[in-house]
Amino acid sequence: MGDVTALLEARDLTAILPGDAGDVRVLDGIELGVFAGEIVDVVGPSGSGKSTLLRAIARLLPGATGTLLLDGSPAEHFTPPAWRRAVALLPQKPVVVDGTVRDNLVLSWRFGVRRQQPMPDDASLAEGLARLGVDAALDRDGSRLSVGQVARIAFLRTLLGKPRVLLLDEPDAALDDASADAVAAMTAQFANAAGAVVRVRHHRPDGIASRRLRLANGSLVAEEVA
Amino acid sequence: MVPQSAGGVVQIGWQGLALATMFVVFVGVVSIRMALGITKDLAIATVRTYAQLIALGFVLRWVFGINQAWLVVAIIVLMVLFAAQIIVKRSPDAPRGIFGGAFVAMALTGFIVTFAVTGVIVQVKPWYLPQYVIPLAGMVIGNSMTGIALAIERVYSDFDARADELLALTALGATPPEAAHGSMRDALRAGLIPTINSMAAAGIVFIPGMMSGQILAGADPVTATGYQIVVMLMVAAATALGSLVALLLTYRRRFTADGVFLEKGFRRQAH
Repeated sequence: MGDVTALLEARDLTAILPGDAGDVRVLDGIELGVFAGEIVDVVGPSGSGKSTLLRAIARLLPGATGTLLLDGSPAEHFTPPAWRRAVALLPQKPVVVDGTVRDNLVLSWRFGVRRQQPMPDDASLAEGLARLGVDAALDRDGSRLSVGQVARIAFLRTLLGKPRVLLLDEPDAALDDASADAVAAMTAQFANAAGAVVRVRHHRPDGIASRRLRLANGSLVAEEVA
Repeated sequence: MVPQSAGGVVQIGWQGLALATMFVVFVGVVSIRMALGITKDLAIATVRTYAQLIALGFVLRWVFGINQAWLVVAIIVLMVLFAAQIIVKRSPDAPRGIFGGAFVAMALTGFIVTFAVTGVIVQVKPWYLPQYVIPLAGMVIGNSMTGIALAIERVYSDFDARADELLALTALGATPPEAAHGSMRDALRAGLIPTINSMAAAGIVFIPGMMSGQILAGADPVTATGYQIVVMLMVAAATALGSLVALLLTYRRRFTADGVFLEKGFRRQAH
């Protein structure tokens, strides 16, 4: 891969999960390198293991084996929370916890891993919401949000943690076109600022991906970008 | 006028027991007629009540006669063992291997709270006086067992219900204690609510068991009140302490070494 180190690298990533008819090798020695500035889309049929792949990269998959490197440093050099702060997964099902929109956006500052990191102020929270087209005050109760609002708040929450790699599991599945465009714009901006992105998407290509990989039978195969 | 025996207690004879049994037989007949499907359980429960309580009577009489410290301690350990077993059985959603945690939690609360009452508050002499220690230990262990079982059962079913939230929190950098905090808090609350409710209703809705017993035995109701208040407060303390210890000792079993919550789909066996 030339003279530059991939920001994120996965080698021989393997996951065997219990299935209905015995164990299934969902990930079979995955090799993946993502460079800073890249957006890699992972496609494939439902159940092919796309979400499993993202979880494995975030060290959130029980039983996964293989090597993960961030900027050349092996994952073992990080505590699991520190790894996930740097390699942040936005899970497929967006979640709001009890509390206001603000509580949800700064949720991860309750955790020890972010003790040294300055918490974003209300102005930057409001700006993020506005850019994503979320018309909700910071004091709005989290239970009074629409599905699309929850999805964008979960996206913003992950972005606010300033990760180096973003793993997005269908970030625009619940969004209308305008909102999906806003999420894509912020994703592209993140990549342009030397971030790396791996996305799982079902929608038609939105034009910001650098590469498209198809996950089938536990392996990744390059696809032509349309 | 209530006839009184020498000890201040009216003896219940075999006729009395037979009459009480007749009521249960009547319920059994109703159960058969209405096909309630509980006839067998009712019969077994009745026989168990007879067998266990008669055995208990003789065992306690024997223990009081021997009056030895080691025997009192051994009996409390046995009670703790059974309580831990029951807690495990009542928590079908809990992971395997929580017996140890349940046992330690029950033993800690059982011993600390019981001897705090007998040693510091009642100040029995000698410290192991079985007439005091064993019934008080039974009340502390039995009542806190219910609360601890509720808390444990609740925390694991809550984990499963909140699997998506646990994943989201962990993905944001939460450690297992940080991710589990909400479920643990709710479970502790759930375990304490029955105790708090019975404290609130005591004396208005019902006369608590220990006080009833002492009054039936001829004690002055105000003296009995003192004991009952001590016991209720101690049961509340034992439930809170025991639930907290039991949760802290066991919840980590639902997370991997990397701090990931083990959702149902990732558990290899049905546990």
